[in-house]
Amino acid sequence: MTLQVSIRREAATLSARLPSLVIAARRVAQTVRHGVHGRRRAGSGETFWQFRPFLSGEPSSRVDWRRSAREERAFVREREWEAAHTVWIWFDRSPSMQFVSSLAPASKVDRAVLLGLAFADLCVGGGERAGLLGLTRPLATQGVVERFAEAIATEERLRGPSQAALPPALPAAPRSMVLLLGDFLSDPEDVARAVLAVSAEGAIGELVMIVDPIEETYPFSGNTEFLHPAGSVRMLTPRAQNLRDAYLARLAAHREAIRAICARSGWGMSLHRTDAAPAEILLALRMRLSAPESGVDLRSA
Amino acid sequence: MFGLPLAFAAPAVLAALVGLVGLYFLLRLTPPSPRQTIFPPLQLLIGLDPNETTPARTPWPILALRLAIGALIILAMAEPLWNSLVALSGSGPLLVLIDDGFAAAPGWDRRIDFARERAASAERAGRIVALRALSQGGMDIAALNRSELDGSLRSLAPVPYAPDRAAALPAIERFLAREPKTEILWIADGVERGGASAFSTRLASIAHSVEVVTDSRGALALAGADNEAGALTTELIRSDARGPATGVVRALDAQGQEVGHAAFDFGAKSEVDAHFDLPVELRNDVTQVVIDGERSAGAAWLIDERSRRRRVAIASGASADVAQPLLAPNYYLKRALQPFADISEWRDTSTDPIVSLLDQRPSVLVLADMSVAPGPELDAITQFLDNGGVLLRFAGTRLAAGEDTLTPTALRRGGRLLGGALSWETPKHIAPFETSSPFFGLAASGEVTVTRQVLAEPEAGLSEKTWARLADGTPLVTAERRGKGLIVLFHVTADTTWSNLPLSGLFVDMLRRIVAEAGAPGQGAAGGVKAAEHGIARPPLRTLNGFGVLGFPPAQAEPIGDDFSGVGDMLHPPGFYGARDSSWAVNALAPGEKLAAAKYAPLVVHEGALAIVPPVDLRRWLLPAALIGLMVDGLVSIWLIGGSPLRRKGAIALAVVGLLGFAAVPRHARAAELPPASERDTDAALSTRLAYVATGDSSVDETSKLGLTALTRVLAARTSAELADPVALDPGRDELAFYPLIYWPIVAGLPQPKPEARTRIAAFMKNGGTLIFDTRDALIARPGGPPTAEALWLRRLLEGVDVPELEPVPHDHVLTKTFYLLDRIVGRTAIGQTWVEALPPLDPNDHAQRPARAGDSVSPIIIASDDLAAAWAEDADRRPLYPLIPGGGRQRELALRSGVNLVIYTLTGNYKADQVHAKDILERLTR
Repeated sequence: MTLQVSIRREAATLSARLPSLVIAARRVAQTVRHGVHGRRRAGSGETFWQFRPFLSGEPSSRVDWRRSAREERAFVREREWEAAHTVWIWFDRSPSMQFVSSLAPASKVDRAVLLGLAFADLCVGGGERAGLLGLTRPLATQGVVERFAEAIATEERLRGPSQAALPPALPAAPRSMVLLLGDFLSDPEDVARAVLAVSAEGAIGELVMIVDPIEETYPFSGNTEFLHPAGSVRMLTPRAQNLRDAYLARLAAHREAIRAICARSGWGMSLHRTDAAPAEILLALRMRLSAPESGVDLRSA
Repeated sequence: MFGLPLAFAAPAVLAALVGLVGLYFLLRLTPPSPRQTIFPPLQLLIGLDPNETTPARTPWPILALRLAIGALIILAMAEPLWNSLVALSGSGPLLVLIDDGFAAAPGWDRRIDFARERAASAERAGRIVALRALSQGGMDIAALNRSELDGSLRSLAPVPYAPDRAAALPAIERFLAREPKTEILWIADGVERGGASAFSTRLASIAHSVEVVTDSRGALALAGADNEAGALTTELIRSDARGPATGVVRALDAQGQEVGHAAFDFGAKSEVDAHFDLPVELRNDVTQVVIDGERSAGAAWLIDERSRRRRVAIASGASADVAQPLLAPNYYLKRALQPFADISEWRDTSTDPIVSLLDQRPSVLVLADMSVAPGPELDAITQFLDNGGVLLRFAGTRLAAGEDTLTPTALRRGGRLLGGALSWETPKHIAPFETSSPFFGLAASGEVTVTRQVLAEPEAGLSEKTWARLADGTPLVTAERRGKGLIVLFHVTADTTWSNLPLSGLFVDMLRRIVAEAGAPGQGAAGGVKAAEHGIARPPLRTLNGFGVLGFPPAQAEPIGDDFSGVGDMLHPPGFYGARDSSWAVNALAPGEKLAAAKYAPLVVHEGALAIVPPVDLRRWLLPAALIGLMVDGLVSIWLIGGSPLRRKGAIALAVVGLLGFAAVPRHARAAELPPASERDTDAALSTRLAYVATGDSSVDETSKLGLTALTRVLAARTSAELADPVALDPGRDELAFYPLIYWPIVAGLPQPKPEARTRIAAFMKNGGTLIFDTRDALIARPGGPPTAEALWLRRLLEGVDVPELEPVPHDHVLTKTFYLLDRIVGRTAIGQTWVEALPPLDPNDHAQRPARAGDSVSPIIIASDDLAAAWAEDADRRPLYPLIPGGGRQRELALRSGVNLVIYTLTGNYKADQVHAKDILERLTR
């Protein structure tokens, strides 16, 4: 019982921890931004990209006459591709995410919020718009991180801590990108339903499974009583060490199921352990944003 | 039990071990609480464990631990004894026989312990137990209960002789007749003396079960001590070659002090001699020879007067004899006496031979053919005879010619020649000795012939005086008691000119008997003669107990007669008999006796079984083990249930418990070492304070108290010396070490303090304290006049105390500079002289102008006469109590300043003497 109470208390103070998360998110985003540059391809942007020879069949209005006058050929002035994306971000704030083990430096929800906010900051800095799925509309302001934080805090204040383990069934607009952060320990069918609902209109995205190290290593032995963070389920096992192999196999199968679900929708899936540095997964996500079609082979340690 | 030397005092409790089975099932059913953990992927786990519904079992190590704890407690309640001898089988009555001769004495405690163990275990087993020490003889043997058993075992002691075991047989037979099932345990000493083999044969035939227990050591004993030429030789014997082979024998004098010691080494033999190389005077002091570390009457050999070595002085007629030394009578005498006496000879250098010889206090003076003329020599010999000396004379031409009173009988002038050319008689042989003669028992050798002799005048009583005669009845040796002494005359020469007696062995034996007649130098007469004459019995004087310690004779000890020549037995325990100065010794063994090892032939002997270790009460190990097990169990349970914080707490708790356990013991040990400090001493040690000696005169004591209180107040106000309230001391009772300064007003009329006060004063002064004696006699003392009563009292007090040299306080003494600059110490009067330890003389090479001088340390004693405390004393309203002489506020101020200086002087020492050099030091530093 005391454990559940402490989890609730921690959950209630997520909004209290938001300011420090905001600052951490900005710092992480800043770290990542240094390594990322524009689209590096011609497109419908403002910035000059390159001159290229005129190809027959093109509308003549595209010819840059000033450049063409210097030579005998006609040139076309191209601008960099600057299409603005809409990035939808959602993170799991259910009690399961409040868990932090002795092996991890931060709880799963903290890491999810950190990653989500940092990614939003990164996107807005790159010119995209970012929104919280089900909470805000897409924003492109510099203060997007603060706005998100406010939105979360407001929602927590009004409705209490979120219990939802899966994103709401709100279809994202086509060509927008979705980032789902959570532990996705629910039934794979439920996860599949949720992912399909979000990607119903063709949005592509990335699903990041955040795991605590203790969930992967399973260092238990002896007479152990396992409690679910929500307090609903408990299980007593006299020899916890006997379950280790079966558990690890089942965990791998579960991940494989989630990965299959993502692949079915053309999404990517990556894994993040809370004892790993957040910048790594953030950089990977950023690269995925700039090359959305490069497939689902994004992985993280 | 189970072949282990383990027994239980309360074996019924062991039945509770059955309860452990129940405990086992109980513990299996109540496992420890599981450890709780939150685990988000719980959904994945559900359904994995096929056994999740079956109850968890207590882990087997914990189960084993708890069962072990239970078993330990139950075992401890059963009072287990390790090494107990309960493993004894058998059910019938047990009869314990104990050899209690002197041979059993060295290992007596072990024997008694062994008997106690066996008897107690048999008694616990409900068997009848009886006990018999074999010296107790034929008294009936009765069964004993536990307390009687303990008491009678405790009262047993070895006897100083070897009891005859056969004497105990009738009682044993009677006991066996009553209790035919009796098993006999014989704790034997391993020595044959006392009829061990016959006894064992007999026992084997009458008892159905006999167990003989002995140690493999045997006995070690002394069988004789000979005070021979040059050394005191003792003969050591042992019964068993496995016994101790080396050791030390000690020779003790009558007071039990060691005179000398000698090492012995048996090697593989069973007898060996040990030699004491001692001067004859020391050898004659030896009354007892003991084997070191062997507590037994057999290992102590008593030496009486008879075996003392006598000093014999030899003087002979003319110095011309020395021309042929090997034919001189001295030579024959020396050779004959040497084996049993120490000989001092007349040296030519001494002008007065006999007197100088007698100065060496011999027991026997031998005059070989020498006449004694009246004069100092005769006086000296008469004195010697009166003191109990033996004068042994030999006839010869000079004696035959001269007039002499120192002969036992009147001699006929001339002499008698037998078998010569002009004689028709053949040389005579010696007649057999008569029973009244001291020579009785010696064989009158037929080889001895006498060719010439001096003849005694026939007179009444001659035959009583005759100790030996020739075959024709003429006296050969006559003797007469003269004073306490004895004169013995050989009617032949000491050389071979008159007879061949000096060449025979008989001569040596006769001389030995004669020398044995002599008492110790300066002591009473030859006791042997007297005893032989009167036939007195000698009562026991001091006897040995079984452990070889001399003490009062036991009640049953009886006097010995003169004919007693045996070894000690029950009625005549070994020891000294007779008068203190001429006692006879009876020993446990006869001289030259051998100790044979016992043969317990038909019986089974358990050798070495006596070397038991005392049983160990295992409770003292079992209960702590159970406690530790409980703690371990608790910690393991905590570790199994809880998380890391609890684990840390458990470790801390364990550490705390361990530390307490270890810290507890040394603290008690320390507390036991030192006596508790009194509260008063603790206070005194914690804060510095002045002290005064309570003289017993209430007004003086009150003045001292008020004066020191006022001085303490002034000190606190003017200086940094903030002292606690002054206290009164009794130097005879209180520890003085805590006080830097003690004020002692002298009141002449009162008694001196206790003697221990003086040692305390000396220690106090030696350890750096300062005593201020105030004689308060400045008004009545006159310089150069007689000392006042107070001064005399002080002198008496300080008798035996190491008081340094004193001098009146010089004007430059540091005492006058320590705080105030004073001219002199002022009290109620201002005329008295104040004395301090004299300063070292001025260094003539030191020309520096020094305003103050000081010695190396604070003066341990200051003697004032100005009644200091009276000048300081104030009443409660701070008004002076006593008028001053001559008076005035200035004098009171000076008196207080004197007090301040005194206190600061004792507190700071000669530091001020250095301070007054500060100017010079600064100058040197800036140069």
